[in-house]
Amino acid sequence: MSRRRARRGDPVPAATLSVRGRIAAWRGQHAWSLHASLQRLAAHPIGTALTLTVMGLALALPLAFYLALGNLQRFGAALGESQAISVFLKPDLGAAGVAGLAADLRGRTDVAAVALRTPQQGLAELSAMQGFGPGLAMLADNPLPYVLVVTPRAGLDARAGQALVAALRALPAADRVQDNSAWRGRLDALLALGRRAVLLLGALLALAALLVVGNSVRQDIRAHAEEVAVLRLVGASSGFVRRPYLYAGICYGFGSGVVAVALVLLLELALAGPAAMLATAWGGGLRFAGVAPSLLLAVPFAAALLGWLGARIAGARHLAAAEPH
Amino acid sequence: MLPASPQSAAPVIRFDQVSKRYPGGHDALSQISFELGAGEMAFVTGHSGAGKSTLLKLLGLLERPSRGAVMVGDVHLGTVRRRGIPRLRRQVGMVFQDHRLLMDRSVFANVELPLVVAGVPAAERGRRVRAALEKVGLLSHEKKSPPALSAGEQQRVGIARAIVGKPPLLIADEPTGNLDPQLAVEIMGLFAEFQQVGTTVLVATHDLFLIKRMRKRVIVLDHGRMVDDVAAAEVV
Repeated sequence: MSRRRARRGDPVPAATLSVRGRIAAWRGQHAWSLHASLQRLAAHPIGTALTLTVMGLALALPLAFYLALGNLQRFGAALGESQAISVFLKPDLGAAGVAGLAADLRGRTDVAAVALRTPQQGLAELSAMQGFGPGLAMLADNPLPYVLVVTPRAGLDARAGQALVAALRALPAADRVQDNSAWRGRLDALLALGRRAVLLLGALLALAALLVVGNSVRQDIRAHAEEVAVLRLVGASSGFVRRPYLYAGICYGFGSGVVAVALVLLLELALAGPAAMLATAWGGGLRFAGVAPSLLLAVPFAAALLGWLGARIAGARHLAAAEPH
Repeated sequence: MLPASPQSAAPVIRFDQVSKRYPGGHDALSQISFELGAGEMAFVTGHSGAGKSTLLKLLGLLERPSRGAVMVGDVHLGTVRRRGIPRLRRQVGMVFQDHRLLMDRSVFANVELPLVVAGVPAAERGRRVRAALEKVGLLSHEKKSPPALSAGEQQRVGIARAIVGKPPLLIADEPTGNLDPQLAVEIMGLFAEFQQVGTTVLVATHDLFLIKRMRKRVIVLDHGRMVDDVAAAEVV
């Protein structure tokens, strides 16, 4: 600390102050800088609010996409819970043949479980669904086939999964094989693409936020050119001259982070109702989830860091004063 | 860094063959050599463009000489790197014709600035700012903002700011340029008072009436050359 101070030609006549005195002096200077920067932000409430809103929106956008993506993923997971493969058997197979086939399949190493659904069970399920009851009652025969619901062993990779599906399709007794994992794979690929897009979008919008802070700080510096000059004349170090702008950048960043979090919370509030309706319509088991609280908590601090960085860059460019070399 | 005692024999300012050529080829100063001792007061005079301002700017490292050496105390300014400039400026109180006050801050805050920058604790700042304001007769105006003050009062605030850090060297560039003669005399009287307590004072002015009245050493510049150096006793 003290070495850094000396190197920067910073303020304190080192020999004359105790450590406690130096800390007090350091705190005093920071308090002065923070006060100066807050005063400036307060002096231009509309400009400050605009900056905060623009930055807040830029930060809220990737968060909103992240929210949507997370829920889509949960939705997909719930729908394709067991990536079970349904094997509809040919009607001419008797109950004994079906049981034998099921036992054969249970013997496979890539199969975790095989459930047998009789035509009667299928009919009962259908009747339970609204609207089907009366129509089914008119049927003389049960037209439904035996169905084997094959659950692949957990951790099976996509290729092994496809091999299993192919093997099932090749069974002479199989009439139709419905593979639920195919659309799951497509959804997963889509979600991976979405995640990448959100990441890129986030990076771009963070850059935009950085530029917004940089621009605000640049205007700040311009508006206070005389003050900067006077501070230099009375012996302020570059660090001291820059400090109020760094504080301003941190304030812009933190404030915009809070705005972004507020926007996301509003969005969640607005979406929670319709999402719940959708979930019920789909038969329960689905729940709308907000962005993780830890992430929301981290956003203002990350944004403050972004603001500091933007101010630092702008300061380096625009405070590099006309000092002689 | 600088000798504070008026008895010290070493000069506070020493110019040794100093020349300054601005980019574009204008020679503002040519081969200037002089010394100013601790506790001495001198005027730098000459027509406008003679190089008075440039000479003062070299002392605050607002400019660097093209040739020659400028010493302030025992510091060769040519060896002061950019990072060291703030430290030097805290040793040199500067007063300007346009006083360069921050119009949106109170008188107190303006005078306090050098102390804040130097890391002086708040309690001591208050004490020293009031002492400085008292010296220039503005103690009752500390809460006002500069635009509420007269031109003479504003210049006094500028002077209070220059001396609040108790610099061993005080330089002033046309400090009375905007003031009527009566106020100008008062302001010069203030500088003479600081000299009395051991501060080295260098004032650039073209006001010959004032110079004659003050009876201090006079350094005369003409087109960047030093054409005369009149001792205080010889000023008539």
